[in-house]
Amino acid sequence: MNKYILSKKLYRNELATFYSFLIGFLIALAVGSLILFIQEKNPFDVFSLMLKLSIGSVNSLSNSLNKAIPLILAGLGISIINSVKLWNIGAEGQIFMGAIALNFVYINTSINNSQIYILLLLVSGFLGGAFCILFPAITKVLFGVNEIITTLLTNYIVFGLTIYLINGAWKDPASLNFPAAAYVSESVYLPTVLGKLSSGFLICILFTLIAYYIKDKSVFGYEMRIAGGSELTAIYAGISAKQKAFFAMLIGGGFAGLAGAIELLSQTHRVSTGISQGFGYTAIIVAAITGMRPIGIFLVGCLFGALTIGGSVIQTIGVSSYIAEIIQATTLFGALVAQFFFSYEILKKDEND
Amino acid sequence: MIDVQLMGLLNATLQAATLLFIAALGELITEKSGILNLGVEGMISVGAVSGFITAINTESLFLAVIVGVLSASAFSSIHAFVTVVLKQDQTVSGLILTILGLSLSSLIGKPYVGKKLEVKLESLIDIAEPSNIFQVLLSQNLIFYIAILLMIFTAYILKKTMFGRRIEAIGEDLKSADSMGLKIAKTQFIATCVGGAFAGLSGVYLTLSYVPYWTDGMTSGRGWIALALVIFGGWKPYRTAFGALLFGFLEALGPRLQTYGFEMSPYIVKITPYIITILVLVFLTIIKNGNTGAPKNIGIPFFRENR
Repeated sequence: MNKYILSKKLYRNELATFYSFLIGFLIALAVGSLILFIQEKNPFDVFSLMLKLSIGSVNSLSNSLNKAIPLILAGLGISIINSVKLWNIGAEGQIFMGAIALNFVYINTSINNSQIYILLLLVSGFLGGAFCILFPAITKVLFGVNEIITTLLTNYIVFGLTIYLINGAWKDPASLNFPAAAYVSESVYLPTVLGKLSSGFLICILFTLIAYYIKDKSVFGYEMRIAGGSELTAIYAGISAKQKAFFAMLIGGGFAGLAGAIELLSQTHRVSTGISQGFGYTAIIVAAITGMRPIGIFLVGCLFGALTIGGSVIQTIGVSSYIAEIIQATTLFGALVAQFFFSYEILKKDEND
Repeated sequence: MIDVQLMGLLNATLQAATLLFIAALGELITEKSGILNLGVEGMISVGAVSGFITAINTESLFLAVIVGVLSASAFSSIHAFVTVVLKQDQTVSGLILTILGLSLSSLIGKPYVGKKLEVKLESLIDIAEPSNIFQVLLSQNLIFYIAILLMIFTAYILKKTMFGRRIEAIGEDLKSADSMGLKIAKTQFIATCVGGAFAGLSGVYLTLSYVPYWTDGMTSGRGWIALALVIFGGWKPYRTAFGALLFGFLEALGPRLQTYGFEMSPYIVKITPYIITILVLVFLTIIKNGNTGAPKNIGIPFFRENR
């Protein structure tokens, strides 16, 4: 018979998620080194170059933080939706939809005051993201349709829509080789605050606090947790679980849409396929690895932004940028392994048992 | 003339359906045991790229198929380890399996982008222009017939053998299964790896026959459509096969609409399979009133409380 039994720990270390993340990151670096080693590259050289080019100067640091913006915002959106125990795999599509909605409003309106205009454009990005998840949200709360599959498939639809628009109605005749929509006017660019760091990063800090407030401090957040926890408790407490789920999804989608709007106004300045490079998927890792905590998402988002920048610069020395993605995904797998040892203990079976 | 077109459509339907069906059937087995694996897309990709690389380097199709299937299965064992042994969240693990699988296959496939395959899975009986439905059926390649055999085997094993009944017992009622002394972890681990092997076979079919080359992201959401197919099929092999034919037909119909006189932007045609998948899923969930027939313990880790 089995000599050992598994037992759930009664008390879980409060910093378990943090330690798991660290352990996961170390495991991921080890795996990354192994891959580099197989490719006959010196891992130490590659990693130190990545470090230098991602946080070594004001310029590279601001690049890294700019990359962190969409990861953080989309991750926050995912975490809000997860409060009701639902998954948003559609952040990638919502980011694109945010940019599309922004461009739609931009084409059809004209406001002279650029600050008000920027604000309007950011709001339309938020609404675009919310609109993108509207159908999965409605079908989830009304009929119980699996939101993982509907939000994921929406990504492909919105990406197809983007390609359709930039090759058709919105095609910029001046952009010959690379299909894209026309640039927005320089007056609505988001200003930079430090080096190349976009003021979008300040919006990002603000929304991290908002998400923290919504999730952990507000009545809505409390009701969301109850709604996501147990259907019966929600009924006893007089909370409409469906209503909470619906609004959580729209808000979460909006966060990702805002990420797309900021990306357009600060980086690409036009709708193109470059609006997101898989940020919506990386955001899932960022959100899951922190146990859906907004402050954690902010910090890990910054780290992963730096990793992404580091990954793209090492291409110059012939190392594939996918190394960064693999390190990100492996970090989460490593963290899951570590989580096990924080939540369970292996006990020796008592002989008399 | 119409006949040739129609046979072409039928042929394309069968090919698209085979690809989706094998992956869906594997996921069905995994889910029957109570393990949800959202990593199908990643596993198909791993199978596709490793099969392709093997085929290019060894020019042996047999070896390519074996390597593709085994590597996807080995890859799925990460999910099995994390969810079955370590009892971590199946949704998180599966999603990351997809992300990891896609980036890993992009990494190892990079030197092979644009390379042409010298050997390709040919149809067993070469019929240049099939003119009736039997000739189309006979002109498929080996994996198509393997898919049919797998369907019959899987249906039989799940319904008629002890092993299949055990899988179902574990997926439906963990506590009873445990008190009956069934080896839950072992069964779930095997079911997950079998699901991975099937996804690998589907991936091999993709790069060795369906589109005989390798590019990044070429699985283009088929793993997710396969996941939707399992729901569509109500966790039943034959019904899943029917669903695969339907989805395969829609995928094959898209690019041909123009020849039938429908003017449609090719960009819109490309997204129709995803729209239709969502609509079918919604429609199905509505008529079944939310009860799609999923195994009851899906996504719930097994943990025997010690007292």
